[in-house]
Amino acid sequence: MDIFLLFISAIFVNNILLAQYLGNCPYLGCSKEKSVAIGMGAAVLFVIVLATVITFLIQKYIMNPFHLGYLQTIIFILVIAALVQFVEMFLKKMVPPLYKSLGIYLPLITTNCAVLGVAILVQRKEFDLWTSFLYAIAASVGFLLAIVLMAGIRERFVVTRIPRSMQGVPSGLVMAGIMSLAFLAFKGMIA
Amino acid sequence: MMEIVRMIVVLSLITGTAGFVLSGLKVWTSPIIESQVLTYVQGPAIKQVFSDMANDPIADRKKFPKPGGGPEDQVIVFPILKDGKLKAVALEGAGKGYGGDVNVIVGVDTSTDTVVGISITTHKETPGIGSRVSEPGFTKQFRGRTLAQAKLKKEGGAIDAISGATFSSIGASEAVKQVTSWYTALKDSIKTTWQ
Amino acid sequence: MGSVASEFTKGLWKEIPPFRLVLGLCPTLAVTTSAENGLGMGAAVIFVLALSNVLISLVRSIIPKKVRIACFIAIAASLVVAVEMLMQAFAYPLYQQLGIFVPLIVVNCIILGRAEAFAAKNPPHLALADGLGMGIGFTLSLTFLGSLREIFGAGTWFGHSLFGPNYHPFSFLVQAPGAFVCLGIILAGMNFLSIWQAKRKGLELDPNFDAGCKGCMACKKMDEIAAQKRLERLGAKA
Repeated sequence: MDIFLLFISAIFVNNILLAQYLGNCPYLGCSKEKSVAIGMGAAVLFVIVLATVITFLIQKYIMNPFHLGYLQTIIFILVIAALVQFVEMFLKKMVPPLYKSLGIYLPLITTNCAVLGVAILVQRKEFDLWTSFLYAIAASVGFLLAIVLMAGIRERFVVTRIPRSMQGVPSGLVMAGIMSLAFLAFKGMIA
Repeated sequence: MMEIVRMIVVLSLITGTAGFVLSGLKVWTSPIIESQVLTYVQGPAIKQVFSDMANDPIADRKKFPKPGGGPEDQVIVFPILKDGKLKAVALEGAGKGYGGDVNVIVGVDTSTDTVVGISITTHKETPGIGSRVSEPGFTKQFRGRTLAQAKLKKEGGAIDAISGATFSSIGASEAVKQVTSWYTALKDSIKTTWQ
Repeated sequence: MGSVASEFTKGLWKEIPPFRLVLGLCPTLAVTTSAENGLGMGAAVIFVLALSNVLISLVRSIIPKKVRIACFIAIAASLVVAVEMLMQAFAYPLYQQLGIFVPLIVVNCIILGRAEAFAAKNPPHLALADGLGMGIGFTLSLTFLGSLREIFGAGTWFGHSLFGPNYHPFSFLVQAPGAFVCLGIILAGMNFLSIWQAKRKGLELDPNFDAGCKGCMACKKMDEIAAQKRLERLGAKA
């Protein structure tokens, strides 16, 4: 039951994109094509889950015993950057088909604030390893959902007449606002 | 080959310098940060317990060795002084609730050994259910109790648990019990420190 | 390359982030629930951006090209940790308010974007001017957006009540959807202004004038991928 609530809360109520504002850059700039959005979302899911688990272990077994908590930001971001690089190399060598579909998005993910955001969030919320793992999955599924929905709507924008000054990012933002309003309605489910 | 060496040298130079500068900054700021955290997290809770204070308990705080703890464990004691004389102390204890630790500031009158009041500093209980431990309805039950009475009724004390939030009530009560046991152990050294 | 003055002023209006140069949207949306938070976040960004620009510009010649991004990230992250500590020591309530978005400054595209686009190619004094200008522009934008949302969403400005007790705040604005809509409308306004100016001067409209993520490396790459996919799909149909 608790796990179910965690998923509902992380995917719908506290959607990482629409309620916590993490990872907006790929959301707005890039979700113009559904296939790209799905690829990006899947790559983000993969990296977020991996990064959260690894940074959790580093925090618990390396940083806490040596009182390095204050270096959290710098250690986490370097670990994430190295991890992304490593995953890219690994996929390229070992699983070429997967690399073809996800690999191209990997270099763009290091600076996606959702990755670092989730890694730091689970530390601040003081989750245990299992809960962190589940939360990472739930949060990135929420990301995937939002970015794919957005791309679906934006594909229609190509054939829609919108005022010149609203084209591109402004209309994307206003639409994100409306989606966020819709997602707010899920709040009643757990309150 | 040369390039790889250069990459490694430059990267380790940058991170080394950064680590050196940051650890210096850490040494400089950590006492300030500690008192800031105490002022903004524990400070309001202490004020809630003791409405009329003549001194600043945060600035006057002292660390004591934790009773039953390791050689490096410490507890912070906040003294409440009146005319330069110790009237009461405040300590922070923690107990396991439903969602995580419930942290409680407990004020103890040093002349009568009774609880002046308690105030919850931080908790992770369910909003609307367990979070009721931080409301006056629960916390004011502790006012004026002797140290032995300051626990839940089923443990032989005088405090009613909140119905529907038993775990959270137990967490708060555990935190108070922790403080009373520390206080009992440290009483003599507290009294010689401030008199 | 321009003079110090022009590098400084371009960040204040011509390329003001995030309204013209759409960079670093996450903190822009998240922390602007009040003018004070916007100002505080802006101050932190000025500190990190100006210093990271100068440091990167100083070491630009010794950084090997292959690991330059890693070096930029290391420098920016160290500065962010410094800001975190200073903020906790001297502005603890603000630190609590901004929460997770203080450490997230490190992945704010504005830092890496400026490092890559400007600091890595220019001498320190110009990099400093660029960093300060961009930082101050970012602060102005955040404070403006924060004021707008605070005044109409809560009826206060920097915590002072403005309209008296009878004002019913339009609380939509301080919630998540309000942030998106508000920023969207401001960006549209900026675009409208550019179109109007170009028309008045009788100039040809710059086809790339859109307030887009052109400053962000990741987005540029992303656009390329999207275009390629579209071509592939069209090719398959034909």
